[in-house]
Amino acid sequence: MSFSAVPPGRGRLVVPVVAVAALAVLPLVLGPYPITLGSRILAFALLVLSVDILTGVTGLPTLGQAAYFGAGAYTAALVGIHWTGSAVVQLLAGVVVAAVLALVTGAVVVRTRGIVFLMVTLAVGELTHQAANSWPVVGGTNGLAGMPPISVLPGGPPLTLSGFVYWWVLAVFVAGYVVVAHAMRSPFGRTLRGIRDNEPRLRALGVRTYPAKLAAYAMAGAVAGAAGTLWAAQARFVAPADLAFDVAAFALLSVVIGGAGSLWGPCLGAALVILVRDELSDHVDGRGPLLLGVVFVACVYVLPRLRGRLRRRKGAR
Amino acid sequence: MDIHLSPPSKTILAIVTASLLTACSGSSISGQQTPQQAAGPLAIGLVVPLSGVYAPLGEDMTNGFKLYLDQHGGRLGGKEIALKSSDEGEGPQTGVPAATKLVTQDKAVAVAGIVNSATALGARNAFIESKVPLVIANAGANDVTAGASPYIWRTSFTNNDVAASLGAEVAEQAGDGSVYLIAPDYAAGKEMIGGFKKTFEAAGGKVAGESFTPFGTTKDFQPFLSTIKGSGAKAVFCFYSGAEAVGFVTQYAQFGLADDLPLYATGFLTEGSVLKAQGGAATGAQTSLHYSDQIDTPRNKEFVAAYQAAYNEPPTVFAVQAYDAAAVLDKAIAKAAAPTGEAIAKVIGEIGPIDSPRGQWSFDADHDPTQPYYLRKVEDRAGTLVNVVVKKLGQD
Amino acid sequence: MQVLITVLNGLALGAILFLIAVGLSLVFGIMDVLNLAHGAVYLIGAYTAVALFADDVTAGGFVLAVLAAAVAGALAGAALAGMSLPVRGHLDQALLTLGVALIVTEVMNAVFGTEVHAIPPPPGLDVSVGVFGQAYPVYRLVLVAVGAALALGLHLALERTRIGATLRAAVADRQMVEALGIPTRRLVVGVFAAGAALAAVGGVLAGPLLGAQPGLDDTVLLLALVVVVIGGLGSVRGALLGAVLVGQVQALGVALVPGAASFLLFAAMGAILLLRPAGLLPARGMAQA
Repeated sequence: MSFSAVPPGRGRLVVPVVAVAALAVLPLVLGPYPITLGSRILAFALLVLSVDILTGVTGLPTLGQAAYFGAGAYTAALVGIHWTGSAVVQLLAGVVVAAVLALVTGAVVVRTRGIVFLMVTLAVGELTHQAANSWPVVGGTNGLAGMPPISVLPGGPPLTLSGFVYWWVLAVFVAGYVVVAHAMRSPFGRTLRGIRDNEPRLRALGVRTYPAKLAAYAMAGAVAGAAGTLWAAQARFVAPADLAFDVAAFALLSVVIGGAGSLWGPCLGAALVILVRDELSDHVDGRGPLLLGVVFVACVYVLPRLRGRLRRRKGAR
Repeated sequence: MDIHLSPPSKTILAIVTASLLTACSGSSISGQQTPQQAAGPLAIGLVVPLSGVYAPLGEDMTNGFKLYLDQHGGRLGGKEIALKSSDEGEGPQTGVPAATKLVTQDKAVAVAGIVNSATALGARNAFIESKVPLVIANAGANDVTAGASPYIWRTSFTNNDVAASLGAEVAEQAGDGSVYLIAPDYAAGKEMIGGFKKTFEAAGGKVAGESFTPFGTTKDFQPFLSTIKGSGAKAVFCFYSGAEAVGFVTQYAQFGLADDLPLYATGFLTEGSVLKAQGGAATGAQTSLHYSDQIDTPRNKEFVAAYQAAYNEPPTVFAVQAYDAAAVLDKAIAKAAAPTGEAIAKVIGEIGPIDSPRGQWSFDADHDPTQPYYLRKVEDRAGTLVNVVVKKLGQD
Repeated sequence: MQVLITVLNGLALGAILFLIAVGLSLVFGIMDVLNLAHGAVYLIGAYTAVALFADDVTAGGFVLAVLAAAVAGALAGAALAGMSLPVRGHLDQALLTLGVALIVTEVMNAVFGTEVHAIPPPPGLDVSVGVFGQAYPVYRLVLVAVGAALALGLHLALERTRIGATLRAAVADRQMVEALGIPTRRLVVGVFAAGAALAAVGGVLAGPLLGAQPGLDDTVLLLALVVVVIGGLGSVRGALLGAVLVGQVQALGVALVPGAASFLLFAAMGAILLLRPAGLLPARGMAQA
């Protein structure tokens, strides 16, 4: 992927535009269940994007994004139940809460690196999961049910049909993707990549890496929070299981499958993981985890070759 | 991204998109449910865990449901049934989509199952809004049937009732001694303890103390067992299931509590395969449950024989709950004016008592079963450990 | 008195954790491989015990199970080493080993079913004795002894033997060892196999405590990771200290602060890592994690 801030020619936008158009057309041709699956995939893909910001771009492998995802989801559900069904308000509230939580925890967490960072974020994730289990305000282990259907604007008509909810989710996903892509192409993104590739050298050059890492962490938290509000919007139910270690682990693995650092690859990885876990599990008589394991192992051996071939065709990275 | 599409590829993509648009097989924005075909088998959904920690329960429930179908020639209410199965998984993340899939994708007119309470709570709104009846065959959280919606029914139990049934009995047996309460730290554990405490204290019982163990992760109960010993309690009431039940009962014996402190619990402590794993450590445990395979009635004996013949193992309460769910649907579909979810739901309240292996029961105002609870005791019968029925704990 | 019993219990737990974690720590230290299939190897050991003596256990049967588990574990470890060697990067290794773990556990589910299996202790050790005036299972005392013996044995092996020295050198600076002409590949596969064998044996020895069931591998893996990271990667002493600490947090911590029991482990780990990111007793010569 080139780092220049100016895209070389409008031809570059053809594939993304076509992809978004294809996704937007789906509610016209698919029934409610596949479309709800699509909403779940998009929400999860946004979470995976947030993991990619940290793991792929900044080189900080994380198992804690589920915490901010959950914070966003619970906030959206609480707003929906007690205040307003407006998805815009829920989104803003979720993003703010998640970003603040990320800032507060990140201030301490980003002082670490590598596997220690991984384990500390795991601790953050698990502690948040336990908090969700114990806190009666968010329903404890039974979760938070009774969230009314979202409407886009306050006082607007509720979106009861899954197709409309899907369009909202798609819109937020695309907006989030564009924001993240833009940030990663900016000088800020370059700093993050520098931190990933050789942090000591960057520091020797006088760049202060701690504020950059913290900013990346807060940004990733905000994106995860947005993903959480989307999840709540389509499920209308949030439970501590949505913050469990599984979610964080699958998100991280989606990044690895799709190619850490590229933004669209992990999104495809997310789609693959959700499809195999949720959809195919029924067809293989409950042996879903086996299929997932086979997919993971295959990805490790097959994908690097595929990615290498793709890269060579695209030219220098 | 630098992948350029050549002009022929763009044309192909346009053609494909156009043909997709014209070949509208269904739509998520039209708002109309594609109606069930008039002829052909009726789609009934069964959503139980096929993978994960609750899979053994899912297996029992599938067996129970299928046994009823087999005994009735694959028909419910006289209509031929196409059984659609879905994997609930371990929690609501997989469970809620699995349950709603049966409605939106497989067009089921009724769905039975659901082990996990969080899943039940998360899925119920979808069923109410889609006007498809959900017959819950396990999930015990008190709130699942809150509001008594015509679409939500339960053939299993409520956490409150199954625990409360033991309160008076334990108070009588314990006399002046105090009882220690212990359960895992999650909603079901709290509801069980709460339900027991109410009837126990109302009957004059004294609580020595309460502990809630971390849910799902506690393998070593020793610190809690030490606390129990130190509290001076004369007996213990607990709620555990699955691996925690095995661990708790085994360690209860290992640390010497089994000799001095009688153990009471809701029946999940000793139901199904966990009893085998607990072995001799479970002997003497007294539990309350709405079923035991030892119930001495002709109806139950007949059921146990049939289940044993079909699946080579004795039935558990989970199998019976699912068996009865099939019975409920059988009666409701027969009575319904039309083979649609709405019509079936309308008549479920009117099907009358169910002649179940557990005894006769019927739905109460909350759509939960009004049923007898039995006091069971673990005893060795001819080399096998079973839950012997001591007596009925009084109508609920 | 209760406190002493609880501490003793924590040591028993620590012994099991040490057995399981030491292999994980050494593999990471020497190979820089994140082996997420470690829990599955533990489960292989536990199910070996289930397969060999489901209900009636004899002393000989138990010993046989331990040996069989060791062999099974070693084979699994060697296979994992072979699969992981060509894979570079922690994340890809994580993906690979997790995939293998999912496959292995699903196969075991298919063979052994999804219920909980209890593993009885060998006869003679399944009694309880009076310790500090209370009944305490003898088997747990045996575990403490086994853990201590193993720790001592490993310490001697690492400090006093040639292979141990090579291993310590490889953990500190693998390239230098290779430059000296010592083939580290064999060493690495050996460490992987030995570590896995220990984990599988742990599955049998911990069987009377933890049983065998689906999902146990996740629990064990998580605990092992916590132990390894707290103790310091690549160090046996670190694994021992980490195991003892985690054992006490789970026992003493839960007894002292039962209300916060669910939070204790990860709060403790988080606190330790933030203060000492390299762990409490990192291997000598290893660079900052």
